[in-house]
Amino acid sequence: MSVETKIRDYILENYLFTDDQSALENDTSFLDKGIIDSTGIMEVIAFLQEEFEIEVEDEEMIPENLDSVNNIVAYVTKKQKADQ
Amino acid sequence: MTKTLVHLLHESVSRCPDTEAIVLQERRVTYRQLWREVSSVAGFLRTNGLAKEARVGILHGNSPEYAAIYYGTLAAGGTAIGLNTSAKAKDLLNWLNHSESSFVFASAKNNELHELAAKLDSEVGLVIIGELPKNQAIDRPFQTWEQVVADENPPEIDLDGIAESETQLAAFIYTSGTTGNPKGVTLSHKNLLANTRSILEYLELKSDERIVNVLPFYYSYGNSILHTHLAVGGTIILENSLMYPHKVVAKMAEEKATGFSGVPSTFALLLSRTKLQEYDLRSVRYLSQAGGPMPPANVERLKKALPHVRIFIMYGQTEATARLTYLPPERLEEKLGSCGIPIPGVRIEIRDAEGNPCPPGTTGEICATGDNIMLGYWKNPEDTAKVVVDGWLKTGDLAHFDDDRYIFIDGRSSEMIKSGGQRISPKEIEEVISELDGVAEVGVVGIDDEMLGQIIKAFIVRKPDIPLEAKTIQAHCLKNLASYKIPKHIEFTNDLPKTASGKLRRHLLLER
Repeated sequence: MSVETKIRDYILENYLFTDDQSALENDTSFLDKGIIDSTGIMEVIAFLQEEFEIEVEDEEMIPENLDSVNNIVAYVTKKQKADQ
Repeated sequence: MTKTLVHLLHESVSRCPDTEAIVLQERRVTYRQLWREVSSVAGFLRTNGLAKEARVGILHGNSPEYAAIYYGTLAAGGTAIGLNTSAKAKDLLNWLNHSESSFVFASAKNNELHELAAKLDSEVGLVIIGELPKNQAIDRPFQTWEQVVADENPPEIDLDGIAESETQLAAFIYTSGTTGNPKGVTLSHKNLLANTRSILEYLELKSDERIVNVLPFYYSYGNSILHTHLAVGGTIILENSLMYPHKVVAKMAEEKATGFSGVPSTFALLLSRTKLQEYDLRSVRYLSQAGGPMPPANVERLKKALPHVRIFIMYGQTEATARLTYLPPERLEEKLGSCGIPIPGVRIEIRDAEGNPCPPGTTGEICATGDNIMLGYWKNPEDTAKVVVDGWLKTGDLAHFDDDRYIFIDGRSSEMIKSGGQRISPKEIEEVISELDGVAEVGVVGIDDEMLGQIIKAFIVRKPDIPLEAKTIQAHCLKNLASYKIPKHIEFTNDLPKTASGKLRRHLLLER
């Protein structure tokens, strides 16, 4: 399963409570659309750390890394490459 | 002349017209500029026939516009209602109809705007702030924010004519309630003014205050921050989300903030995801916390991370405008776990079930009186009579005094859930879940959570032969409730504990 699919499925399942893939665009801002709040983002980080075995540093908690599916995919991919 | 918050703002405008009042991202709005917008809103509302005490809804995030609409409404003699920006159209319409609002100022970005505009009574004036998203035409008459503030020289506000009496309505704050029984806390000019002045006194706020604010203005705690800082001539720097906590702390350092306020989960997030001691926070003079009990361990961690900062632990209720008690910072360590003593102008008693004062060490209900106690719930004399008796507010919170009459909260006698500083009615969630076909019975409770204080759990009895998954229930809640009201946990069960008359025994669900 691709990074993108895993992230999409996680967001759809846990924050939109659906498996309807059309419910989430990859560039939708989680903050603007109210999909994830400040505690939700902590759960997302815990998920990323466990699922992709990466360490999310406090300074990396910025919208550019976490505020949409596209941003998370790019961030996770970059982290995985850096770890190799 | 009845003095109002508008007068306090006007005094700040006269004292420091070029000081920044509100900062939002790149925008730095001075007191002079804010006053011009307040005057524009007041002029617009008056020209469009706003009656005395008529309600004006504000569906807009924290911003200079929010402050201008709030104060412009007061200046026009109207009643301001800050609306929860994460609420669904159904709730928003319920509140606007219940309050018989004459106008709504709404953000073009609000996800519910389209549905709200379509269903809003045609008599209600709608003003849209910002640019509508493409393909989102609004099919009813409306005006734009630009039209409201177009006049470079708006008519002057008649300060003498704002309020005919100190009990004139000034604001509503909708707290949790069910569809049929929304709870609109009604506040007078006297209420707002009294609580603002008390808070200024004990926090010792000065004209050089610079607060970084993350709390929504529609919520009584955020509302008090708006009023106190504008009254003192300070600067409110807005950070409208805590999703990225270290951005908030970086902003505090960058803006040389003097203060910061939060609910327990705010500080839990800052402590767990930022390294406070690595930022230059020497400018910070105080932190304040309300919105539920904060674990003493987190108070100690804050004190250790920022030893030069005064920490104010506070307690209040929307029905008391915002604040009732505070713990003087110099007694923080000695009285750890206490929410302190009454704020200036407030009297507190702890009473037993018969209404008699409890001696120190004995738990009873916190009852409070003062000029900050609400007028009542709008159009709801029955519920008002249950909580305001002879001018005393029965808070529903259980507590005891120690020998020095410091207050220690022991729990709540009411069934309300408190999550992340938000007060949530379990009945409202039950009402929504009951709409689903497969639900025979539902009971909702708050369970303990380290970060949020409480999180929501729903117990469901399913109807036979109708399949129903937890996800379906949560999806239905997402459609009909603000996201912070969605149950985190769903448990299917065979029955719910009830009294002989069939009333849900919620406390027994907690023991399951």
